[in-house]
Amino acid sequence: MSIFQQSKPVGDPLLNPQKTHARRREATLVRRLAVRLPLLASAAVLLFFVLAAIAPNLLAPFDPLAINPAQAFSAPGAGHLLGTDESGRDIYSRIIHGARPSLLIGAAATAIGLGLALVLGTIAGFGGRWLDFGVARILEVLFALPGLLLALVFIALAGPGVATTVIAVGLTSAPGYARIIRAQIIALRTSPMVEAATVLGRSRSRILTAHILPNALAPITVLATLGLGQAILWAAALSFLGLGAPPPAPEWGTMLSAGRTYLSLAWWMTFFPGLAIVLVAAASTVLSRSLKSGGGQ
Amino acid sequence: MTHVRPLANKLVPAAAALAAALVLAGCTPGTTTSDASGDAGTPVTGGTLVYASGDAEPSCLDPHVGGNYPQALVASQYLETLYTKDADGTLIPWLAKDSTVSEDGLTRTVTIREGISFTDGTTLDAAAVKANFEHLLNPDTASSTGYLALGKIDSMQAVDANTLELKLKSPDNSLLESFSMPWVAIESPTALKRSQAENCAAPVGTGPFKVESWKKQDAVNLVRNTEYVLPDPKAGHAGAAYLDAITWRFIPEAATRYAALQAGEVQLIDNAQPDAIAAAEKNTAIKHLDAPRPGASNRVELNSSKAPFNDAKVREAFVHAVNVNASIDSLFFGTAKRSYSPLSSVEPLAHSEESLFGYDPAKAGQLLDAAGWSERDSAGYRVKDGARLSLTFPVSTSQSIPAEQSLFEQMQATAKESGIEIKIKLLDLSSWYGELFTNNYNLVSAPYTKVGPGVLSILFHSDSTIPAPSGYFANLSQVKDPSLDVLLDTAGSTKDQAERKNLYAQAQQKVLEGYYLLPLYNQQNHFLYSEKLKNVGTTTAVASPTFFGTWLSN
Repeated sequence: MSIFQQSKPVGDPLLNPQKTHARRREATLVRRLAVRLPLLASAAVLLFFVLAAIAPNLLAPFDPLAINPAQAFSAPGAGHLLGTDESGRDIYSRIIHGARPSLLIGAAATAIGLGLALVLGTIAGFGGRWLDFGVARILEVLFALPGLLLALVFIALAGPGVATTVIAVGLTSAPGYARIIRAQIIALRTSPMVEAATVLGRSRSRILTAHILPNALAPITVLATLGLGQAILWAAALSFLGLGAPPPAPEWGTMLSAGRTYLSLAWWMTFFPGLAIVLVAAASTVLSRSLKSGGGQ
Repeated sequence: MTHVRPLANKLVPAAAALAAALVLAGCTPGTTTSDASGDAGTPVTGGTLVYASGDAEPSCLDPHVGGNYPQALVASQYLETLYTKDADGTLIPWLAKDSTVSEDGLTRTVTIREGISFTDGTTLDAAAVKANFEHLLNPDTASSTGYLALGKIDSMQAVDANTLELKLKSPDNSLLESFSMPWVAIESPTALKRSQAENCAAPVGTGPFKVESWKKQDAVNLVRNTEYVLPDPKAGHAGAAYLDAITWRFIPEAATRYAALQAGEVQLIDNAQPDAIAAAEKNTAIKHLDAPRPGASNRVELNSSKAPFNDAKVREAFVHAVNVNASIDSLFFGTAKRSYSPLSSVEPLAHSEESLFGYDPAKAGQLLDAAGWSERDSAGYRVKDGARLSLTFPVSTSQSIPAEQSLFEQMQATAKESGIEIKIKLLDLSSWYGELFTNNYNLVSAPYTKVGPGVLSILFHSDSTIPAPSGYFANLSQVKDPSLDVLLDTAGSTKDQAERKNLYAQAQQKVLEGYYLLPLYNQQNHFLYSEKLKNVGTTTAVASPTFFGTWLSN
């Protein structure tokens, strides 16, 4: 996401001591705003889609499933803000109603991935040399397979559908998280704090629950927000391939796939669902990066 | 738009029309005036036609094996049939010279044309045709379409070099129509002796082109048969085809296929989508060929073997609950016309009954109330004895084009208003077959192409509910009506043409009135091609284009 990289602003007031305090304050304010603009925009985008997911009827003017063949393929305009699809359904309303499945799929898949990773990472990081060795080999094998392939294999075995997509995306993201969690736990295990606890005669399970896991959780939260955008992208990709939510569900990937047929005739059928996916994925990435670096600086 | 001109388009059955035909060469009664495909001009020899198919690549190029439409499309270039259809849709002999049937209808004699050879040098004779029929009827060949078409043959004998005598189990008045289908095309008996894998890779026929190579996942390369002999000299020019070669490519993605045509990478695409056809109508560089397939119309079948469609009232209610016409108008851009018949509009014996299929939610509601589906659940769907009025609809993504899938979605939306739930399951072909084999469907749409009204027996005779060795059965509405069986049997065996027509009309009326099916439109078969390609439009009896007379202008 290079467009969101925060380069150091030119004209840093610290390098220009001749400027007045007032001008410096003003410049600082502008700089801060400039730096925070992507963050604020991301927060606004996510807020909008979370609101859409919670209360779609508040934002959507039409029923996302109501067909109106006479209005099919209407271009974006006054009646239909983002146009209509081949069945005359309102694209804007479908995108709003699609927020809930898309965000839920993203959140649930991330939760599954992280949960699985937490178990694997803890076993590897805290379970001793042989368990570590075993889990590390399993992770390496999983890493060797491309993520999408892993998800496709799972869907081929379990059959397409929303639940399968969630599990498939979760499974696919688990190895990456597990490796990070393992490293985190190993670092904590050898930390002075845990050494002290060991010297004090605390049991291993108590050390794990009282010291290691709580301290490992903070970086995991950052990972989760970063993973959310990724999971939404994956889920949309699988739906695009026809393996996710069945029609006529207003799922973004499914909409993208349906619009593809009419790309030359009705670009809006593909463009706007695609834009929604990009916005949410980019916004959650920007947010998580700023969380990671501690508040947008 | 070019209309179909079946294979022998310039073949004139009556001498009286000969003079007119000379004037109108290349222009047939069905051709509309908007056709400006530039057939005029001197044909140029040479060049390669690149054909882009939207179908899945066949696993076997021999249409005897299995027998589906993608196979027929490509095989029509290198294989020929005993019979074919002329411009008026009249059945005419092609590789056969003539055929007669005995008074009791149980012995059919076919005379084979002389002077024709397969591209491997083998001579076409009665023994060769016999070898082909035996190949089709051999269970090891795993033929389904051709096997069914020849099902009435009991035994056969080559009486002399050019006469084949067929003994039938019961009279079959559609046998010659069956002979006109590429799935029963005649291949070299020498080539058929090879292993099935070898024959699948490069079948050998008598056609204007021959298979040179097949690079799987890429293209089938066909080259001109320089020794080609046109079976009926009146049907076209003398000598070999104008084109040097045909490259038969597979581009499954519709938008990509159309883009390839626009870019000039390919000169002809099949499975053209309605929106692309509408766009092409405005583009003078692209021409349109509309060649509806014979046999059944494209329809939705209602599975009468289990609840809720075992109740005729519910079937009738469903038909009135869905608004098909509004959807066809908006999704097909005027490229498809609504059908009210089980048969394609190109079938002369098709019988329509429009009055049965009006969109009438009020009537649907009354019928459902009367059938006991009067309560509604919280989602607004009707319930009876605690069960929701829910219909499972497996849809094959490879057999239903996107516009058709959208049509089904719109049916789903309109049916909901009447309290009927439709669960659409988009499936790949093998999963879709799986749902049919396990009777896990209430609605299904399965195209069936066959020449002649005999297809009605395949689709609606109770015998067709018994699965073939492959597991497939074609009577997907699972009609089991003894009186219908009698009608179909008699219609299929009578020698009296008027009686045949009358009985088939009665049979169609019966299945329409029984609401076993919801007719949609003809089986769509649209081609778009570059205006540089001249004299396109000749097709076989199953509406697959042939390119013997086609040439590429510079």
